[in-house]
Amino acid sequence: MTAVDVTVLDAPATVSGQGYWSGVGARLLRDPLTLICLGVILLLILSAAFAPWLGLADPYKGSMIARLKPIGTPGHILGTDEQGRDMFARLIYGGRLTLFIGLTPVVLAFFIGGTLGIVAGYAGGWINTGIMRTVDVFFAFPSVLLAIAISGALGAGIVNSLVSLTIVFIPPITRVSEAVTSGVRALDYIDAARASGANALTVIRVHVIGNVLSPIFVYATSLTSVCMILAAGLSFLGIGVRPPEPEWGLMLNTLRSAIYVNPWLSALPGLMIFVTSLCLNLLSDGVRSAMNVRD
Amino acid sequence: MFSYFLRRVILMLPVAFGVSVICFLLVQIAPGDPLTAIMPVDATADEQAAMRAIYGLDKPLPVQYAIWISNLAQGDMGKSIASGRPVAGEVFGAVQNSLILALSAAVVAFPIGIFLGFLAGYFRDTLLDRAVTAISIAGVSVPNYWLGIVLVIIFSVNLGWLPSMGAGPGGSQDWSWDWLHIRHLVLPAVTLAVVPIGIVARTVRALAGDLLTMDFVQALYAKGMSRGDVLRHVARNAAATALSVMGLQLGYLLGGSILIETVFNWPGSGFLLSNAIFQRDLPLLQGTILVLALFFVTMNLVVDVAQAAIDPRIKRS
Amino acid sequence: MRHFKGRFAALMLAAGLTVAQGAAAQGILRVGMTAADIPLTTGQTDQGGEGMRFMGYTVYDSLIEWDLSSSDKPSVLIPGLATEWAVDAEDKTKWTFKLREGVTFHDGSPLTAEVVVWNFDKLLDDSSEQYDSRQAAQGKSRIPAVASYTAVDDLTLEIVTKTPDATLPYQLAWILMSSKAQFEAMDKDWEKVANAPSGTGPWKLDTFVPRERAELVPNPDYWDETRVPKLDKMVLIPLPEPNARAAALLSGQVDWIEAPAPDTIPAMSGNGFVISSNAYPHNWTWHLSRLDGSPWNDIRVRKAANLAIDREGMGALLGGLMVPAKGFLPPSSQWFGEPTFDVTYDPDAAKALLAEAGYSVDNPLKVKALISPSGSGQMLPLPMNEYLQQSLAEVGIEVEFMVVEWNQMINLWRAGAGDAAVEGSESINFTYFIQDPFTGLIRHLSCDLIAPNGTNWGHYCDPEMQALFDQIKTTFDPEEQDAVLRQTHEKFVNEALFLMVTHDVAPRAMSPKVKGFVQAQNWYQNFSSISME
Repeated sequence: MTAVDVTVLDAPATVSGQGYWSGVGARLLRDPLTLICLGVILLLILSAAFAPWLGLADPYKGSMIARLKPIGTPGHILGTDEQGRDMFARLIYGGRLTLFIGLTPVVLAFFIGGTLGIVAGYAGGWINTGIMRTVDVFFAFPSVLLAIAISGALGAGIVNSLVSLTIVFIPPITRVSEAVTSGVRALDYIDAARASGANALTVIRVHVIGNVLSPIFVYATSLTSVCMILAAGLSFLGIGVRPPEPEWGLMLNTLRSAIYVNPWLSALPGLMIFVTSLCLNLLSDGVRSAMNVRD
Repeated sequence: MFSYFLRRVILMLPVAFGVSVICFLLVQIAPGDPLTAIMPVDATADEQAAMRAIYGLDKPLPVQYAIWISNLAQGDMGKSIASGRPVAGEVFGAVQNSLILALSAAVVAFPIGIFLGFLAGYFRDTLLDRAVTAISIAGVSVPNYWLGIVLVIIFSVNLGWLPSMGAGPGGSQDWSWDWLHIRHLVLPAVTLAVVPIGIVARTVRALAGDLLTMDFVQALYAKGMSRGDVLRHVARNAAATALSVMGLQLGYLLGGSILIETVFNWPGSGFLLSNAIFQRDLPLLQGTILVLALFFVTMNLVVDVAQAAIDPRIKRS
Repeated sequence: MRHFKGRFAALMLAAGLTVAQGAAAQGILRVGMTAADIPLTTGQTDQGGEGMRFMGYTVYDSLIEWDLSSSDKPSVLIPGLATEWAVDAEDKTKWTFKLREGVTFHDGSPLTAEVVVWNFDKLLDDSSEQYDSRQAAQGKSRIPAVASYTAVDDLTLEIVTKTPDATLPYQLAWILMSSKAQFEAMDKDWEKVANAPSGTGPWKLDTFVPRERAELVPNPDYWDETRVPKLDKMVLIPLPEPNARAAALLSGQVDWIEAPAPDTIPAMSGNGFVISSNAYPHNWTWHLSRLDGSPWNDIRVRKAANLAIDREGMGALLGGLMVPAKGFLPPSSQWFGEPTFDVTYDPDAAKALLAEAGYSVDNPLKVKALISPSGSGQMLPLPMNEYLQQSLAEVGIEVEFMVVEWNQMINLWRAGAGDAAVEGSESINFTYFIQDPFTGLIRHLSCDLIAPNGTNWGHYCDPEMQALFDQIKTTFDPEEQDAVLRQTHEKFVNEALFLMVTHDVAPRAMSPKVKGFVQAQNWYQNFSSISME
């Protein structure tokens, strides 16, 4: 399983303006691979979001007679699963849950960890110590272990998975955001702003967030594929999403014995996880290089 | 150097304490009764209460923690609810097996990763670079639990070349480094190595690429150093960072092998952990997580100290 | 015995040949179990029926045992460590047991009545030095009738029951005898005994690696010569994940696996592996709530539900590895009797019954059912329950599921239908071990066992049924007792007291090299006749 990349980025102290973002956009447009990946991800998100209106078969309704039909069966373009449910519909609906559980924790951790890091970095002193030492404790657990431990303790369920994955991703994001904020805080113009009597919130809002957001954002995007693989892994272990919900990791699990009947069919959910995570990684790389962030 | 080491050890203590609190609390948030798994389904309420008292589960939380931590200090991690055996013995045996697996995966992954990364960094922006990048991204993107299943089907079930499960013909107790046992290690170690290959290759590529374009390298060339000497110089500079990444990866391999160990029935800590989770075996769950987390903390310490030894500048920061 | 590749004759022939060849070296059998750990080795095993099968009746014996020699008739009780037993003609609570002469434990110490008493104390007397909470947790609830026990002489044992209870022999078939001498040799520490246990059984535990493997070797001095194992060794390997089991068998790492997943069976039989299965006393049912207000109180509704299920159709889902229910006990049971209500698929009759009760497809009866996605012995609970949901909907019963984890399910099963935690569910999907009169019939419906004080989940209490249960307990002649048991089961079926769905057939897959196995209609099996080609 992919480990969370803990390398803390160098804090770029560039002030990002409009020219910077248009430059980023232009560079992205010249990068076909990143665009393709963006397309794939968008397609997945859109089809997941609009799944109920795509005229798909019912992903929950199966037929025992029509179970494990091969790929290409008329009426079931990607075959049927171990309960005779349409694989195509389940993969699309499965993307819905998989992406939701794979991306939401990163988004939540981005806000929570980002805030914690900015507060710690800006306030310094005992607040910094308090927050960062607590984060250190969570950081002492390998990410996979922590996710499995929390999910294992809480038991299966969508909410429990979200909670455990969010807890896993808060510490690394807090660290990055604290490092970047401390870097920005040391800059002269922040001192000047503080000296001129602006209150802390204003300084944070105007000066710090503008500078800190993009490095944290870039870092957070690099975590999405890890998070998705991990989320699917929890379901695969049986401590994530519960049946009969369609979710790729869980489908991989329930189709495991079908590997002897129809190997291609049972490989499909794994393939979906692989392709999606590949695209998320390439996309994050593309964005990273377009924003001129060094590895 | 010694004072730096001492300082790092002292810094580690509150983290270790925090880790123990989390491990303890973790299992308290668990719903359901841990004794369910081991009692016959038709055990009476009295029998259940008696069992609960034996495991101290009828006492208040802080008391349970105090008992747990003071026993821990004496090396007693309690007894597994499901098996009745001492947790310490079970966990350390399993961690040993996990270490065998993690080290083997590292032996596969690190040289390949470093080699690929160096190639890509040295020949930056060539076709070779792109190929290596593709391989490393694929490596970190593949759900390895799925890869493991696929490898079992191909190499165990269809071709019959390698065993699909276990740690050797006689179990893990008589482990030795001969082919009879290493056969069992091949598939899980290769599966586990895929992700670190990707990560190490990416890190080394970036390091090598950056260093080669830096001013001092140009200066070295200007001083008339040979290509080989420059490479050696660059390698030493990169070593500190590469070491830290690999050290952490080893920790992740140990803590992250749970899914792989489940797929391959490898009798390691991850396998133990998943058994503990499904049997709601709280003392075992606690003990396994604690030992793995403390190992990881120690690993971090070792990496930091080693890094400081190689590159003295780090000590100051 | 049903062999899906028609290997039955060949197998029997080979078995005959092996017998003729005599006791030459017969190889090593490696078994993939479904348990996640090696069952408790000290005597009274854990890990449910599988634990008793592989670590109980192999290493140990009980006073009275199940006859495992035949595959084509239900197994009955036979003498084990006790050669004969009788209840006192005057005092029906007093039983006398004659122990078998010359039986020794693996450590060489003799089996005496005093050792048997010591074993009962191990489970029941928590002030005794040999009391073991782990074994007690497994064994105590199996012998509820036992009040006291004394050694009359070396080979005579007396047991007094709390009330007259003719099911005592069945209860005693659970209790395995460990060696007192070995316990004392191991510093009176059960943890040490676990590594070097000593029983009287046909197998001796040779080596034991927790969670990984246990190796059993034959006990050449076993008291029953016909059950001295032919194999050199039997290796037990815990492989809880069904696909890991399948892969291990297909790649030749084990020779035998318990409970192959239905979808892996074609690949196995296609590669020459043998699938063995047989009916045994197991059932997969919906235990119905009989509290006030439960729709299942109406016999028409209960019968309609039982008639709505196409059990043969469900077989497809299970790869044919099931026996469609005709009653609560499997049709082959000696206690099945001749119920008048035919449990079959008749949707029209079901609709008619529901119409009488005031329901139809357009105006369906709504029920809430408790199910779990997994669980030991639960077969394939999710697809099977969804199949039931579909079938019931077609006649006019709309089922809403409450899905909970298996561990939670066990708690809800113990709590009973009246507990708030079941959130008004009117049935619970459970699988039952129904091997003896108590586990098979009495415990589910007896008034004095209403949950949470007992295992009568649905709060059923019927004077007529209670009278039958009392009669079972007070009928000491085995044949007469069997007749009462048949009568009781007929009442179970005729009044459709459960949603009777299916019985498992204990499938196991094995390499064609495994010869001489006879699968008894029992949770336990005899491994002594097996040899490897």
